[in-house]
Amino acid sequence: MNPADHTKAERFVAHLEPLQRQLSVYCARALNQRDESEDVLQSAVANAFRDFDKYSEGTNFKAWMYRYVTLEILNRNRASSRLAVPSGSLEPAHEPALHIDSFRLETLLDAPEIVLDHCDEVVAICVRQLTELERKILLLRAVGDFKYREIAEILDVPIGTVMGLLSRAGNQLRNGLLDYAHENGLLRKGDTA
Amino acid sequence: MKCHDARRYWDLYHDSEGDADLHFQLNEHLDNCVECAEWFHKQSRLESLVKERLTANAGEGATAVDWSRILNGAGVTPVRRARSWKMFGSLLTALAAGILLMIGLFGGFSLDGSPNLAHLSAEVHQHVSAGSLRLEFESESDIDVDRYLVNRVPFPVRCPPRKDSGFAVRGAGMCQLSNQSAAYVVGSVDHQPVSIFVLPKESLNEFPELRLILQREPMTACREGNSEMVLSVFDKNLILVIGNIDRTKLTRVLKSYGTYPHSA
Repeated sequence: MNPADHTKAERFVAHLEPLQRQLSVYCARALNQRDESEDVLQSAVANAFRDFDKYSEGTNFKAWMYRYVTLEILNRNRASSRLAVPSGSLEPAHEPALHIDSFRLETLLDAPEIVLDHCDEVVAICVRQLTELERKILLLRAVGDFKYREIAEILDVPIGTVMGLLSRAGNQLRNGLLDYAHENGLLRKGDTA
Repeated sequence: MKCHDARRYWDLYHDSEGDADLHFQLNEHLDNCVECAEWFHKQSRLESLVKERLTANAGEGATAVDWSRILNGAGVTPVRRARSWKMFGSLLTALAAGILLMIGLFGGFSLDGSPNLAHLSAEVHQHVSAGSLRLEFESESDIDVDRYLVNRVPFPVRCPPRKDSGFAVRGAGMCQLSNQSAAYVVGSVDHQPVSIFVLPKESLNEFPELRLILQREPMTACREGNSEMVLSVFDKNLILVIGNIDRTKLTRVLKSYGTYPHSA
C-alpha cells in the first residue's frame, strides 16, 4: 500500500470505527442468513473504500456507509432467497397499518420490562417476519438512528413510504410481543383479552 | 388538539419528526393533558426498550464479526493508533483518577474563596471530551446508563429523553466536585460533546455564590473558557449542562431533563 493509500485507509477507518458495532447489528438483523454478516460487511467495506475518494469530507459518512451495507444486504438476501422469509421487497408501500389490540397493548405499556426481559428471541423473529423493506426501515431507524428523510435517501424510497412502513413494522413487532406475552402468561392476570 | 389527534402523532413526536407546528401543538396538548402525557411517556418507554433489544442483542451473528479481518479482507489496513489507545487503556484509567483527584482538591474557586462549580464541572467536561478522562461506563443505551447510575449514586439521575433533548448518550461516571458527589452523563448534541452533571440539591450549600444566583434566576447560564453551560434545580437535583455548542441547545437538554418524572 503506497503512502497515499495508507492515508486514505487511516481516514476511512477513522470514520468507520465508531460505526462498526451498529453496522454489525444492522447487518445481522437485516440479513436472511445472519452468518453471512462478515462476508456482507467485507464486500460493503471494500466497495465503500474503493469509492471513498468520492466521499465529501464533512458530509454524512454514516448515511453514506449505510447505503453500501444496505445494498450489499439486498443483493445477498436476493441471492439467498431460497431461504428467505416471504418478502414483499419494495411493493407494500400503501398497505394499511396493522390492527393492534389496544386493550392488550395497555397492559404491555404498563409493565414492558416484564415482557421484554423474556423476549430477545421473539423480537429477533418478529423482525425477520417483516418484509425486507419494512425490516430495513425499522433497523435503520432503531439501530442506525436515522431520520425519516435519511432513511428515504438511503433506500431511495419516498418519505411517506418510510413513515407508513415504519408504523406498520412497529405495530407488527408489538403484536408479536403481545402474542408471545399472552401465550406465556406474561401479561398481568385478568388482563388477557 | 384533541387526545385522539395527539395520539395519532405520537410516533412523529417520539422520533422528533414532523413539522415544528405539529410539535408545538402536541407540546401544548401534553402540557394540559395528564393522561396523554402519561400515555406518551409509556409509549416512549416501550419503544426505548424494544430499541434496546434490537441494538444490543443481535445474537451470535453480530457479536462474532471480526472487524480486523473484514478490513484486511477489504484491502483496508487498520489504523495502529486505535490499538495504541487500547494498550494504554489502563494507564488512562489511572490518569483519569488522578485528574479527578486534582480537580477535586485544587479545582476552581471564586473570588470570595468558595468553590466554583462552573469551573470544576467544565474541567471534567473538557477532560472527558478530550479523552484524557476515561468514562467509567460506556454505552449508547439510555436505559443501560440509567441502570448503571441508579445503584451508584444516592440521588436520582437519568438520561434526558432523547426525543426532546436531541442528546445521544455515550456513557457516564461519578466524580467529586469540591467535596460534593456528582454524577455525569456524557453524550453529544448534533455530534458535539455535551456533559450533564447531576448533584443533590443540598450540595448548593457548598457553592453559596451559585445558590444566590439561582435564587434570583432559577435557570441561569454562564460561560467557562470555551464551554457554555446552563444550570437549574429540578426536583431534588442541581443539573448542569455543559458543551461547546449554542446555549439554546443546552437549554433544550436542561429543560427536557427537567420534564422527566423522577418517580418513573
